[in-house]
Amino acid sequence: MLVKRDVKALQNIYLIEVLKGLAITMKHMLFSKAVTIQYPEERRNYSDRYRGMHYIKATNGVENCTACMLCPTVCPAECIHIVAGERPDKEKYPVKFEIDILRCCFCGMCEEACPKDAIKLSKIYEMSTSKRVVYDKDYLLEQRGHK
Amino acid sequence: MAKCTIDGREVEFTAGENLIEIARRVGVEIPYFCYHPGLSVVAQCRMCAVEVEKMPKLQTACSTPASDGMIVHTDSERAKSNQKSIMEFLLINHPLDCPICDKAGECDLQENSFKYGDAYMRTSEERRTYLDLDMGPVIKKNMNRCIHCTRCIRFGAEVAGVREMVAVSRGNNTEITTIDGRPLETDYAGNYADICPTGSLTLKDFRFHKRAWMLKKTATVCEGCSKGCNMEIQQDNNVIERCIPRPNMEINRYWLCDEGRFNYHYVNDRSRITAPTSLGGKTSWTSAVAAAKEALKGKKVLVLAGSDLTQEEAKLLIEFAPKAFPGSTLLHFGTPGITATTQDAPADTLLKRKSKTSNLNGWEKLGVKGADSIPAGTEAVLVIRGGRAELPNLDGVSTVVAIGVFNESEVAAAKVTLPGTSFSEKDGTIVNYEGREQRLRRSINPVGQSKQLGEILMLWTHSAAAAPRPMESVKGVVA
Repeated sequence: MLVKRDVKALQNIYLIEVLKGLAITMKHMLFSKAVTIQYPEERRNYSDRYRGMHYIKATNGVENCTACMLCPTVCPAECIHIVAGERPDKEKYPVKFEIDILRCCFCGMCEEACPKDAIKLSKIYEMSTSKRVVYDKDYLLEQRGHK
Repeated sequence: MAKCTIDGREVEFTAGENLIEIARRVGVEIPYFCYHPGLSVVAQCRMCAVEVEKMPKLQTACSTPASDGMIVHTDSERAKSNQKSIMEFLLINHPLDCPICDKAGECDLQENSFKYGDAYMRTSEERRTYLDLDMGPVIKKNMNRCIHCTRCIRFGAEVAGVREMVAVSRGNNTEITTIDGRPLETDYAGNYADICPTGSLTLKDFRFHKRAWMLKKTATVCEGCSKGCNMEIQQDNNVIERCIPRPNMEINRYWLCDEGRFNYHYVNDRSRITAPTSLGGKTSWTSAVAAAKEALKGKKVLVLAGSDLTQEEAKLLIEFAPKAFPGSTLLHFGTPGITATTQDAPADTLLKRKSKTSNLNGWEKLGVKGADSIPAGTEAVLVIRGGRAELPNLDGVSTVVAIGVFNESEVAAAKVTLPGTSFSEKDGTIVNYEGREQRLRRSINPVGQSKQLGEILMLWTHSAAAAPRPMESVKGVVA
């Protein structure tokens, strides 16, 4: 429904209203702090609880993961694929550990479910690529985080 | 009828029934480890101890037969504190390796610990450890996880009929092992993994393949022999991971032989033909069916059907063969030397039978005869089977067309192979040696481009574009 508004004569010329608006713009431009940052050079400091790129924690060069499959079980996006195997120094270890990172929703439930403190989400958020990427075990084993 | 009261619920029972079974009937769960309904009662884990009124001490429910007017409390303070103590006692030496243990998810110890145990433990001593010897191709042993329930010892002596597992040493140092560390001899070794309440005895075949909770389960029947043991197929991602027995007191009780248990391997085998093949090369369904028709045209055809096919498939073939190949003969095959149920007999004292196909009796009931040898004058053979029946020697036959589940080497000489479905990929009825009708249930989708026999025959009979219809002619075959 159209409402007929009571417009005063001065408002009808718009000029004063335009100047008022310009004054607000100028106030923000000249006197308030910028909310944006110069991104690649400047970085924001995110919380330690930020959930970014995954990594598998290793202790003395051996992956903590024992391929217990709790992370693929709990994963709501079903993006973790593990194949378990056996080797002389470790009864059960992941032969293959893949994260289909485009499917991942960064909920962090894998980290929470892990009984071995193996899968971790680091603070790294620069993960954009030009093609679809599946993180494999070697890539995940690069120790990126400090959690 | 005699009545007793369990946790305030009145239950009727027949003489000789123990408290665990009676309580289960009214929905009262009594935890236990060493008790197994198919084995003798030893009452040595003490987990099932319950309080019985007018008895001074706690009574083990597995070894206490109910008597009239007995009043049992399974959740009294004394019973509960006993359960908690027993759990703590059993876990003193149990390693905390559930993440790598194949039993996790279906483990009695894990479940009872969760329900009746304490989340904290008071001991800080080192746990005992053992070096484990190999126990043959079926079972992987991990003595560290053992709780000395002796189910395996009793299973060997009482069911499998081989005294091969023993307990050596005493107390904390007890070790359950085979005599002199020999590998297991019995053909029923897979059951050791089923009855073990912990992860001490696990299947080598299933080792680290999947976790128990990932598997989708389908209740079906084993096709390993004419016994028709009840079985559960467990699969994930359309790949069968393992088969376990399903209790049926009238057929297999709680057990399954290794042959039946590991029979499924051909289903997801790499060498299985899962695409229509003509003269050794993959082709489309349309051209393969056309080539098959061409190869058999105008020849004297022998239709050989495996007695591992279901009643429904048998009925289809009985209708199909005379129409498609006038003057042809339809015979069934399955196990060399066994062409009739009269030749079928128990192969051992427990479950196995001589006929290595599941539906020999059914085929005989439908009036089809078994094939001893290829009849003289046969120019071409159409072989149809489900995957289990053993192929007869077809060396002298120039034209062979195969429908069903085959591996590459078996049908190297065949002109055309049309991939069919195995027992795990179809529904159907099989009739066991004593005439018991049982249902096969589809647990996975047909692998690759395989089709059901009904669909293949439909393609054969009608044009290639014919839409698959429901198997109308089958109605009325099954009671």
